[in-house]
Amino acid sequence: MTGMIQGGWEFVWAAYGITGVAMGIYIASLWIRWKAEDKSE
Amino acid sequence: MTRQRVAAAFALVGLGLLSWGSYLGLWVAPPDRYMGDVQRIMYVHVPTAWLALVVFTLAFVYALLFLIRRTWRWDALHEATLEIGVLYTALLCIQGALWGKPTWGVYWAWDPRLTTVAVMLLSFAGILSLRHFLDDPLRRASWSATATILASANVPVVYYSVRWWNSLHQLQSTPKTVNSAMVEPLRINAFGLLALTIALIMIRSWIAEARRRRDLAPPLPEIEA
Repeated sequence: MTGMIQGGWEFVWAAYGITGVAMGIYIASLWIRWKAEDKSE
Repeated sequence: MTRQRVAAAFALVGLGLLSWGSYLGLWVAPPDRYMGDVQRIMYVHVPTAWLALVVFTLAFVYALLFLIRRTWRWDALHEATLEIGVLYTALLCIQGALWGKPTWGVYWAWDPRLTTVAVMLLSFAGILSLRHFLDDPLRRASWSATATILASANVPVVYYSVRWWNSLHQLQSTPKTVNSAMVEPLRINAFGLLALTIALIMIRSWIAEARRRRDLAPPLPEIEA
């Protein structure tokens, strides 16, 4: 027993994965909205 | 250089730094003495927390500037910072829950830090939805700016909550409070997210400005031949 939490990589991957996917979707939504506004002007 | 190129440059620098910082955080930095590899969530969680607080502070400044100056540019920046701040705070709660489960044993606790962050998320998300319900641009800008100034009173409470109350959440992680081997990925990710945030605020404010121009001068109906 070292007192250190063992494993837990699934939580690490989930945190980075959810953040990456959410940021990717947001950047894509910004791009789509920007192009739509640009077209309507 | 056009403003689009400036935004693209900030976005590319931000994404590059975030990739490098995350690589160092996931594979190069040592595991924490007690939390082991789970502590690697810090390299994404802490920069998200810093930037969420910075972006909401900017939202307060832009709201105040709009009410004082009555310039539409400040309203567009206010809308941009509101939306990005809500996104970052939602991500902050998810990352925190994923860090909390293996270290505290629970995804969520009604701890002072977590509760004040939840209040911050709900109040600013409410202001953002208020903007969607108001069609009149002046009313939308004035009402939401006033609401932002009121909701901003909670932002310093979130920051100091871990010092003011006996919190389950650890004290703020800064380069002075973490091991020197962990500082580099933390700092790189923080600057990366800052650069990306600048690009996102610029682009989102252009969208808000275009929408406001359309609201004030809607396109004329086409005349049938």
